Amino acid sequence: MASTVMATKPIALAKASPSLSPRKISIRAQAKPSSTSIPNLKSLTSKLLFSVPSIAMLAATPLPALAEMEKAGLFDFNLTLPIIAIEFLLLMVALDKLYFSPLGAFMDARDAKIRAELSEVKDTSAEVKELEEKAVAVMRAARAEIAAALSKMKKEMTAELEVKLAEEQARIELELAAAIDNLEKEKEEALRVLDAQIDALSEEIVRKVLPTT
Amino acid sequence: MDVISSSIKTYNIWFEISGVEVGQHLYWQIGGLQIHAQVLITSWVVIAILLVSVIIAVRNPQTIPTDGQNLFEYILEFIRDLSKTQIGDEYGPWIPFIGTMFLFIFVSNWSGALLPWKIIELPHGELAAPTNDINTTVALALLTSVAYFYAGLSKKGLSYFEIYIKPTPILLPINILEDFTKPLSLSFRLFGNILADELVVVVLVSLVPLVIPIPVMLLGLFTSGIQALIFATLAAAYIGESMEGHH
Repeated sequence: MASTVMATKPIALAKASPSLSPRKISIRAQAKPSSTSIPNLKSLTSKLLFSVPSIAMLAATPLPALAEMEKAGLFDFNLTLPIIAIEFLLLMVALDKLYFSPLGAFMDARDAKIRAELSEVKDTSAEVKELEEKAVAVMRAARAEIAAALSKMKKEMTAELEVKLAEEQARIELELAAAIDNLEKEKEEALRVLDAQIDALSEEIVRKVLPTT
Repeated sequence: MDVISSSIKTYNIWFEISGVEVGQHLYWQIGGLQIHAQVLITSWVVIAILLVSVIIAVRNPQTIPTDGQNLFEYILEFIRDLSKTQIGDEYGPWIPFIGTMFLFIFVSNWSGALLPWKIIELPHGELAAPTNDINTTVALALLTSVAYFYAGLSKKGLSYFEIYIKPTPILLPINILEDFTKPLSLSFRLFGNILADELVVVVLVSLVPLVIPIPVMLLGLFTSGIQALIFATLAAAYIGESMEGHH
Protein backbone atom coordinates (compact mmCIF):
# COMPACT_ATOMS: atom_id res chain seq x y z
CA MET A 1 0.00 0.00 0.00
CA ALA A 2 2.74 2.35 0.93
CA SER A 3 4.52 1.55 -2.31
CA THR A 4 1.52 2.57 -4.41
CA VAL A 5 1.19 5.86 -2.56
CA MET A 6 4.84 6.72 -2.79
CA ALA A 7 5.12 5.61 -6.39
CA THR A 8 2.81 8.42 -7.43
CA LYS A 9 5.19 11.03 -6.12
CA PRO A 10 8.67 10.14 -7.28
CA ILE A 11 9.65 13.76 -7.81
CA ALA A 12 8.86 14.73 -4.28
CA LEU A 13 10.94 11.87 -2.98
CA ALA A 14 13.88 12.80 -5.15
CA LYS A 15 13.84 16.25 -3.72
CA ALA A 16 13.54 14.97 -0.16
CA SER A 17 16.47 14.29 2.12
CA PRO A 18 18.16 10.98 1.34
CA SER A 19 17.62 9.69 4.89
CA LEU A 20 13.91 9.25 4.21
CA SER A 21 12.98 5.65 3.77
CA PRO A 22 10.54 5.23 0.94
CA ARG A 23 8.15 3.33 3.14
CA LYS A 24 7.48 5.96 5.76
CA ILE A 25 3.89 7.03 5.70
CA SER A 26 3.38 10.49 7.02
CA ILE A 27 1.36 13.44 6.01
CA ARG A 28 3.78 16.20 5.29
CA ALA A 29 2.43 19.69 5.08
CA GLN A 30 4.18 20.67 1.91
CA ALA A 31 4.11 23.66 -0.38
CA LYS A 32 2.62 21.33 -2.99
CA PRO A 33 -1.06 21.65 -3.78
CA SER A 34 -2.79 20.21 -0.78
CA SER A 35 -5.43 18.60 -2.91
CA THR A 36 -3.13 15.71 -3.67
CA SER A 37 -2.33 14.86 -0.06
CA ILE A 38 -5.89 14.40 1.18
CA PRO A 39 -7.07 12.13 -1.64
CA ASN A 40 -3.93 10.14 -0.99
CA LEU A 41 -4.96 9.58 2.61
CA LYS A 42 -8.46 8.67 1.50
CA SER A 43 -7.19 6.35 -1.16
CA LEU A 44 -4.81 4.88 1.38
CA THR A 45 -7.56 4.08 3.84
CA SER A 46 -9.83 2.78 1.13
CA LYS A 47 -7.01 0.67 -0.18
CA LEU A 48 -6.47 -0.62 3.33
CA LEU A 49 -10.11 -1.54 3.70
CA PHE A 50 -10.40 -3.24 0.39
CA SER A 51 -7.04 -4.87 0.47
CA VAL A 52 -7.56 -6.52 3.85
CA PRO A 53 -9.09 -9.69 2.44
CA SER A 54 -6.56 -9.87 -0.37
CA ILE A 55 -3.66 -9.31 1.94
CA ALA A 56 -5.05 -11.82 4.40
CA MET A 57 -5.14 -14.33 1.62
CA LEU A 58 -1.67 -13.32 0.59
CA ALA A 59 -0.39 -13.76 4.10
CA ALA A 60 -2.09 -17.12 4.26
CA THR A 61 -0.08 -18.43 1.37
CA PRO A 62 3.31 -19.56 2.59
CA LEU A 63 5.78 -16.92 1.64
CA PRO A 64 9.11 -18.19 0.38
CA ALA A 65 12.35 -17.06 2.00
CA LEU A 66 12.07 -13.45 1.05
CA ALA A 67 14.98 -11.79 -0.56
CA GLU A 68 13.03 -8.58 -0.17
CA MET A 69 12.10 -7.97 3.45
CA GLU A 70 10.17 -4.92 2.37
CA LYS A 71 7.41 -7.15 1.09
CA ALA A 72 6.12 -7.65 4.62
CA GLY A 73 3.19 -5.50 5.53
CA LEU A 74 0.61 -5.36 8.20
CA PHE A 75 -0.42 -9.00 7.90
CA ASP A 76 2.84 -10.77 8.32
CA PHE A 77 2.34 -14.05 10.15
CA ASN A 78 5.42 -15.86 11.27
CA LEU A 79 7.03 -17.60 14.21
CA THR A 80 6.08 -14.66 16.42
CA LEU A 81 2.58 -16.07 16.78
CA PRO A 82 3.41 -19.32 18.56
CA ILE A 83 6.13 -17.61 20.56
CA ILE A 84 3.66 -15.08 21.90
CA ALA A 85 1.19 -17.87 22.62
CA ILE A 86 3.82 -19.76 24.62
CA GLU A 87 4.85 -16.58 26.44
CA PHE A 88 1.24 -15.95 27.34
CA LEU A 89 0.78 -19.44 28.75
CA LEU A 90 3.98 -19.15 30.78
CA LEU A 91 2.84 -15.76 32.05
CA MET A 92 -0.51 -17.28 33.00
CA VAL A 93 1.16 -20.02 35.05
CA ALA A 94 3.53 -17.53 36.69
CA LEU A 95 0.78 -15.08 37.59
CA ASP A 96 -1.35 -17.87 38.95
CA LYS A 97 1.44 -19.06 41.23
CA LEU A 98 2.49 -15.60 42.34
CA TYR A 99 -0.69 -13.61 42.44
CA PHE A 100 -4.05 -15.17 41.76
CA SER A 101 -3.72 -18.20 44.01
CA PRO A 102 -1.92 -16.73 47.03
CA LEU A 103 -3.80 -13.46 47.13
CA GLY A 104 -7.09 -15.15 46.36
CA ALA A 105 -6.57 -17.64 49.18
CA PHE A 106 -5.59 -14.83 51.53
CA MET A 107 -8.67 -12.80 50.65
CA ASP A 108 -10.97 -15.79 51.05
CA ALA A 109 -9.46 -16.67 54.42
CA ARG A 110 -9.89 -13.11 55.57
CA ASP A 111 -13.51 -13.09 54.44
CA ALA A 112 -14.21 -16.35 56.23
CA LYS A 113 -12.61 -15.06 59.40
CA ILE A 114 -14.63 -11.87 59.34
CA ARG A 115 -17.81 -13.80 58.71
CA ALA A 116 -17.06 -16.16 61.59
CA GLU A 117 -16.42 -13.28 63.94
CA LEU A 118 -19.60 -11.56 62.85
CA SER A 119 -21.69 -14.65 63.48
CA GLU A 120 -19.98 -15.08 66.84
CA VAL A 121 -20.91 -11.57 67.79
CA LYS A 122 -24.48 -12.16 66.76
CA ASP A 123 -24.58 -15.30 68.95
CA THR A 124 -23.17 -13.56 71.98
CA SER A 125 -25.69 -10.80 71.66
CA ALA A 126 -28.43 -13.43 72.01
CA GLU A 127 -26.64 -14.75 75.08
CA VAL A 128 -26.46 -11.29 76.49
CA LYS A 129 -30.19 -10.85 76.04
CA GLU A 130 -30.78 -14.11 77.88
CA LEU A 131 -28.60 -13.04 80.73
CA GLU A 132 -30.35 -9.72 80.91
CA GLU A 133 -33.72 -11.38 81.16
CA LYS A 134 -32.44 -13.68 83.87
CA ALA A 135 -31.14 -10.72 85.80
CA VAL A 136 -34.48 -8.96 85.57
CA ALA A 137 -36.29 -12.07 86.76
CA VAL A 138 -33.90 -12.46 89.64
CA MET A 139 -34.41 -8.86 90.61
CA ARG A 140 -38.13 -9.25 90.55
CA ALA A 141 -37.95 -12.39 92.68
CA ALA A 142 -35.70 -10.66 95.15
CA ARG A 143 -38.01 -7.72 95.41
CA ALA A 144 -40.99 -9.95 95.94
CA GLU A 145 -39.09 -11.80 98.61
CA ILE A 146 -38.17 -8.61 100.34
CA ALA A 147 -41.73 -7.35 100.27
CA ALA A 148 -43.01 -10.59 101.70
CA ALA A 149 -40.41 -10.59 104.44
CA LEU A 150 -41.16 -6.99 105.21
CA SER A 151 -44.87 -7.55 105.55
CA LYS A 152 -44.27 -10.60 107.69
CA MET A 153 -42.04 -8.64 110.00
CA LYS A 154 -44.58 -5.89 110.20
CA LYS A 155 -47.24 -8.33 111.25
CA GLU A 156 -45.07 -9.84 113.91
CA MET A 157 -44.12 -6.49 115.27
CA THR A 158 -47.67 -5.27 115.47
CA ALA A 159 -48.73 -8.47 117.18
CA GLU A 160 -46.00 -8.08 119.75
CA LEU A 161 -46.83 -4.48 120.26
CA GLU A 162 -50.45 -5.23 120.81
CA VAL A 163 -49.59 -7.86 123.36
CA LYS A 164 -47.38 -5.46 125.19
CA LEU A 165 -49.98 -2.78 124.99
CA ALA A 166 -52.60 -5.06 126.44
CA GLU A 167 -50.26 -6.01 129.29
CA GLU A 168 -49.49 -2.44 130.10
CA GLN A 169 -53.11 -1.52 129.94
CA ALA A 170 -54.01 -4.28 132.33
CA ARG A 171 -51.29 -3.21 134.70
CA ILE A 172 -52.32 0.36 134.55
CA GLU A 173 -55.88 -0.57 135.19
CA LEU A 174 -54.83 -2.57 138.20
CA GLU A 175 -52.84 0.26 139.55
CA LEU A 176 -55.66 2.61 138.85
CA ALA A 177 -58.07 0.37 140.65
CA ALA A 178 -55.65 0.10 143.54
CA ALA A 179 -55.23 3.81 143.60
CA ILE A 180 -58.93 4.37 143.54
CA ASP A 181 -59.36 1.93 146.36
CA ASN A 182 -56.80 3.75 148.36
CA LEU A 183 -58.45 7.00 147.75
CA GLU A 184 -61.77 5.61 148.71
CA LYS A 185 -60.32 4.28 151.93
CA GLU A 186 -58.73 7.58 152.68
CA LYS A 187 -61.98 9.28 151.91
CA GLU A 188 -63.78 7.06 154.30
CA GLU A 189 -61.12 7.59 156.87
CA ALA A 190 -61.30 11.24 156.38
CA LEU A 191 -65.05 11.14 156.60
CA ARG A 192 -64.90 9.17 159.80
CA VAL A 193 -62.39 11.50 161.27
CA LEU A 194 -64.51 14.40 160.17
CA ASP A 195 -67.54 12.73 161.60
CA ALA A 196 -65.82 12.30 164.94
CA GLN A 197 -64.67 15.87 164.82
CA ILE A 198 -68.07 17.03 163.81
CA ASP A 199 -69.50 15.29 166.78
CA ALA A 200 -66.97 16.85 169.07
CA LEU A 201 -67.45 20.24 167.52
CA SER A 202 -71.16 20.05 167.74
CA GLU A 203 -70.88 19.14 171.46
CA GLU A 204 -68.67 22.14 171.99
CA ILE A 205 -70.89 24.40 170.15
CA VAL A 206 -73.90 23.19 172.10
CA ARG A 207 -72.07 23.69 175.34
CA LYS A 208 -71.00 27.12 174.36
CA VAL A 209 -74.26 28.22 173.08
CA LEU A 210 -76.54 26.77 175.70
CA PRO A 211 -76.31 28.25 179.10
CA THR A 212 -74.51 26.13 181.55
CA THR A 213 -76.87 24.41 183.48
CA MET B 1 11.54 24.71 -6.13
CA ASP B 2 13.87 26.10 -3.51
CA VAL B 3 10.91 26.99 -1.42
CA ILE B 4 9.69 23.44 -1.61
CA SER B 5 13.05 21.83 -0.87
CA SER B 6 13.71 24.11 2.09
CA SER B 7 10.25 23.54 3.55
CA ILE B 8 10.70 19.84 3.09
CA LYS B 9 14.10 20.02 4.76
CA THR B 10 12.71 21.85 7.80
CA TYR B 11 9.96 19.34 8.13
CA ASN B 12 12.50 16.58 8.02
CA ILE B 13 13.28 16.85 11.72
CA TRP B 14 9.69 16.29 12.71
CA PHE B 15 9.50 13.64 10.07
CA GLU B 16 12.41 11.79 11.59
CA ILE B 17 10.91 11.90 15.02
CA SER B 18 7.30 11.38 14.19
CA GLY B 19 7.24 9.23 11.14
CA VAL B 20 5.50 5.97 11.71
CA GLU B 21 6.65 2.92 9.91
CA VAL B 22 3.68 0.75 9.25
CA GLY B 23 4.56 -2.72 8.25
CA GLN B 24 8.21 -2.33 9.15
CA HIS B 25 9.51 -4.96 11.50
CA LEU B 26 12.81 -5.87 13.02
CA TYR B 27 13.46 -9.39 11.89
CA TRP B 28 15.30 -12.10 13.73
CA GLN B 29 15.88 -15.49 12.29
CA ILE B 30 15.39 -18.79 14.05
CA GLY B 31 16.00 -21.74 11.82
CA GLY B 32 14.22 -20.96 8.61
CA LEU B 33 11.57 -18.82 10.23
CA GLN B 34 11.39 -15.17 11.02
CA ILE B 35 10.30 -13.34 14.11
CA HIS B 36 9.12 -9.81 14.65
CA ALA B 37 11.72 -8.96 17.21
CA GLN B 38 10.19 -5.67 18.25
CA VAL B 39 7.04 -7.48 19.36
CA LEU B 40 9.07 -9.94 21.37
CA ILE B 41 11.12 -7.24 23.05
CA THR B 42 8.11 -5.19 24.06
CA SER B 43 6.25 -8.26 25.23
CA TRP B 44 9.20 -9.15 27.47
CA VAL B 45 9.06 -5.66 28.93
CA VAL B 46 5.31 -6.02 29.57
CA ILE B 47 5.79 -9.40 31.21
CA ALA B 48 8.61 -7.99 33.35
CA ILE B 49 6.43 -5.07 34.46
CA LEU B 50 3.59 -7.41 35.40
CA LEU B 51 5.69 -9.92 37.30
CA VAL B 52 7.78 -7.39 39.18
CA SER B 53 4.80 -5.31 40.27
CA VAL B 54 2.92 -8.41 41.35
CA ILE B 55 5.83 -9.74 43.36
CA ILE B 56 6.40 -6.44 45.10
CA ALA B 57 2.81 -5.79 45.95
CA VAL B 58 1.79 -9.22 47.16
CA ARG B 59 4.64 -9.95 49.53
CA ASN B 60 3.44 -10.28 53.16
CA PRO B 61 -0.25 -9.77 52.73
CA GLN B 62 -1.69 -7.76 55.61
CA THR B 63 -5.19 -8.08 56.95
CA ILE B 64 -5.65 -4.37 56.45
CA PRO B 65 -4.13 -3.96 53.01
CA THR B 66 -1.46 -1.49 52.06
CA ASP B 67 -1.94 0.63 48.94
CA GLY B 68 -0.28 -1.72 46.50
CA GLN B 69 -1.95 -4.76 47.96
CA ASN B 70 -5.26 -2.95 47.89
CA LEU B 71 -4.87 -2.19 44.19
CA PHE B 72 -4.10 -5.78 43.35
CA GLU B 73 -6.94 -7.02 45.54
CA TYR B 74 -9.23 -4.69 43.63
CA ILE B 75 -7.95 -6.03 40.32
CA LEU B 76 -8.44 -9.61 41.48
CA GLU B 77 -11.95 -8.85 42.70
CA PHE B 78 -12.73 -7.20 39.38
CA ILE B 79 -11.50 -10.20 37.41
CA ARG B 80 -13.36 -12.60 39.69
CA ASP B 81 -16.55 -10.64 39.27
CA LEU B 82 -16.10 -10.55 35.49
CA SER B 83 -15.49 -14.28 35.32
CA LYS B 84 -18.35 -15.09 37.64
CA THR B 85 -20.80 -12.97 35.67
CA GLN B 86 -19.86 -14.52 32.36
CA ILE B 87 -19.00 -18.09 33.22
CA GLY B 88 -21.24 -18.83 36.17
CA ASP B 89 -20.43 -20.91 39.19
CA GLU B 90 -17.53 -22.88 37.84
CA TYR B 91 -15.45 -19.79 37.25
CA GLY B 92 -12.65 -20.72 39.62
CA PRO B 93 -10.27 -22.56 37.27
CA TRP B 94 -10.65 -19.91 34.59
CA ILE B 95 -9.55 -16.94 36.64
CA PRO B 96 -5.85 -17.23 35.71
CA PHE B 97 -6.67 -17.35 32.02
CA ILE B 98 -9.10 -14.42 31.98
CA GLY B 99 -7.00 -12.45 34.43
CA THR B 100 -3.81 -12.89 32.48
CA MET B 101 -5.62 -12.01 29.27
CA PHE B 102 -6.97 -8.81 30.75
CA LEU B 103 -3.73 -7.79 32.44
CA PHE B 104 -1.49 -8.62 29.49
CA ILE B 105 -3.59 -6.70 26.99
CA PHE B 106 -4.17 -3.79 29.35
CA VAL B 107 -0.51 -3.37 30.25
CA SER B 108 0.57 -3.84 26.62
CA ASN B 109 -1.81 -1.19 25.36
CA TRP B 110 -0.98 1.30 28.05
CA SER B 111 2.75 0.66 27.74
CA GLY B 112 2.49 1.37 24.05
CA ALA B 113 0.76 4.65 24.77
CA LEU B 114 2.68 5.80 27.84
CA LEU B 115 6.23 4.49 27.67
CA PRO B 116 8.69 6.44 25.52
CA TRP B 117 9.65 3.63 23.20
CA LYS B 118 11.02 5.98 20.56
CA ILE B 119 14.09 6.59 22.69
CA ILE B 120 15.36 3.15 21.80
CA GLU B 121 16.22 3.17 18.15
CA LEU B 122 16.06 -0.08 16.30
CA PRO B 123 17.95 -0.75 13.10
CA HIS B 124 14.70 -1.50 11.35
CA GLY B 125 11.18 -0.91 12.50
CA GLU B 126 10.31 0.59 15.85
CA LEU B 127 9.13 -0.42 19.29
CA ALA B 128 5.47 0.01 20.14
CA ALA B 129 2.73 -1.85 21.95
CA PRO B 130 3.03 -5.58 21.34
CA THR B 131 -0.66 -5.70 20.54
CA ASN B 132 -0.24 -3.59 17.43
CA ASP B 133 1.07 -6.65 15.64
CA ILE B 134 -1.33 -9.08 14.04
CA ASN B 135 0.65 -12.02 15.39
CA THR B 136 -0.02 -11.07 18.99
CA THR B 137 -3.71 -10.49 18.64
CA VAL B 138 -4.27 -13.60 16.56
CA ALA B 139 -2.26 -15.61 19.08
CA LEU B 140 -4.47 -14.38 21.89
CA ALA B 141 -7.62 -14.98 19.88
CA LEU B 142 -6.55 -18.50 18.98
CA LEU B 143 -5.77 -19.21 22.62
CA THR B 144 -9.29 -18.05 23.47
CA SER B 145 -10.69 -20.35 20.83
CA VAL B 146 -8.74 -23.29 22.18
CA ALA B 147 -9.85 -22.33 25.67
CA TYR B 148 -13.54 -22.39 24.94
CA PHE B 149 -13.28 -25.60 22.99
CA TYR B 150 -11.37 -27.14 25.85
CA ALA B 151 -13.97 -25.86 28.32
CA GLY B 152 -16.86 -27.32 26.37
CA LEU B 153 -15.20 -30.62 25.64
CA SER B 154 -13.88 -31.18 29.13
CA LYS B 155 -17.26 -30.44 30.65
CA LYS B 156 -19.54 -32.25 28.27
CA GLY B 157 -17.36 -34.61 26.32
CA LEU B 158 -18.36 -35.21 22.74
CA SER B 159 -21.92 -34.11 23.38
CA TYR B 160 -20.48 -30.61 23.25
CA PHE B 161 -20.97 -30.79 19.52
CA GLU B 162 -24.73 -30.92 20.02
CA ILE B 163 -24.54 -27.20 20.53
CA TYR B 164 -24.05 -26.80 16.82
CA ILE B 165 -27.52 -28.03 16.05
CA LYS B 166 -29.26 -26.10 18.79
CA PRO B 167 -31.77 -24.53 18.60
CA THR B 168 -32.47 -25.75 15.07
CA PRO B 169 -30.24 -27.73 12.69
CA ILE B 170 -30.77 -25.05 10.07
CA LEU B 171 -28.37 -22.87 12.01
CA LEU B 172 -25.56 -25.44 11.67
CA PRO B 173 -23.59 -23.54 9.00
CA ILE B 174 -23.92 -20.35 10.98
CA ASN B 175 -22.70 -22.04 14.13
CA ILE B 176 -19.73 -23.46 12.31
CA LEU B 177 -19.02 -20.07 10.81
CA GLU B 178 -19.10 -18.61 14.31
CA ASP B 179 -16.12 -20.74 15.24
CA PHE B 180 -14.14 -18.85 12.65
CA THR B 181 -15.59 -15.41 13.15
CA LYS B 182 -15.15 -15.41 16.91
CA PRO B 183 -11.35 -15.45 16.88
CA LEU B 184 -11.27 -13.32 13.76
CA SER B 185 -13.36 -10.56 15.30
CA LEU B 186 -11.50 -10.71 18.60
CA SER B 187 -8.12 -10.37 16.96
CA PHE B 188 -9.06 -7.72 14.46
CA ARG B 189 -10.93 -5.62 16.95
CA LEU B 190 -7.91 -5.39 19.22
CA PHE B 191 -5.39 -5.07 16.40
CA GLY B 192 -7.35 -2.39 14.59
CA ASN B 193 -7.98 -0.32 17.69
CA ILE B 194 -4.39 -0.30 18.87
CA LEU B 195 -2.74 0.18 15.52
CA ALA B 196 -5.18 2.86 14.43
CA ASP B 197 -4.79 4.72 17.69
CA GLU B 198 -1.02 4.73 17.27
CA LEU B 199 -1.33 5.94 13.69
CA VAL B 200 -3.74 8.71 14.60
CA VAL B 201 -1.54 9.96 17.41
CA VAL B 202 1.56 9.90 15.27
CA VAL B 203 -0.14 11.63 12.38
CA LEU B 204 -1.50 14.34 14.65
CA VAL B 205 1.85 14.86 16.31
CA SER B 206 3.50 15.27 12.96
CA LEU B 207 0.87 17.77 11.86
CA VAL B 208 0.30 20.06 14.81
CA PRO B 209 2.18 21.23 17.89
CA LEU B 210 2.68 19.02 20.89
CA VAL B 211 -0.33 19.95 23.03
CA ILE B 212 -3.12 19.29 20.57
CA PRO B 213 -2.80 15.54 20.27
CA ILE B 214 -3.08 15.09 24.04
CA PRO B 215 -6.89 14.68 24.07
CA VAL B 216 -6.52 12.05 21.40
CA MET B 217 -3.85 10.33 23.47
CA LEU B 218 -6.16 10.36 26.48
CA LEU B 219 -8.92 8.94 24.33
CA GLY B 220 -6.44 6.32 23.21
CA LEU B 221 -5.69 5.37 26.81
CA PHE B 222 -9.39 5.07 27.53
CA THR B 223 -10.25 3.01 24.46
CA SER B 224 -7.26 0.73 24.85
CA GLY B 225 -8.30 0.00 28.42
CA ILE B 226 -11.81 -0.73 27.21
CA GLN B 227 -10.43 -3.02 24.52
CA ALA B 228 -8.62 -5.05 27.14
CA LEU B 229 -11.84 -5.32 29.10
CA ILE B 230 -13.82 -6.28 26.02
CA PHE B 231 -11.36 -8.96 25.01
CA ALA B 232 -11.38 -10.50 28.47
CA THR B 233 -15.16 -10.26 28.78
CA LEU B 234 -15.74 -11.85 25.40
CA ALA B 235 -13.29 -14.62 26.14
CA ALA B 236 -15.11 -15.32 29.38
CA ALA B 237 -18.46 -15.13 27.59
CA TYR B 238 -17.39 -17.68 24.99
CA ILE B 239 -16.09 -19.98 27.68
CA GLY B 240 -19.30 -19.59 29.66
CA GLU B 241 -21.39 -20.14 26.59
CA SER B 242 -19.66 -23.38 25.74
CA MET B 243 -19.89 -24.58 29.34
CA GLU B 244 -23.56 -23.76 29.66
CA GLY B 245 -25.51 -26.43 31.43
CA HIS B 246 -28.00 -28.71 29.84
CA HIS B 247 -31.13 -26.78 29.14
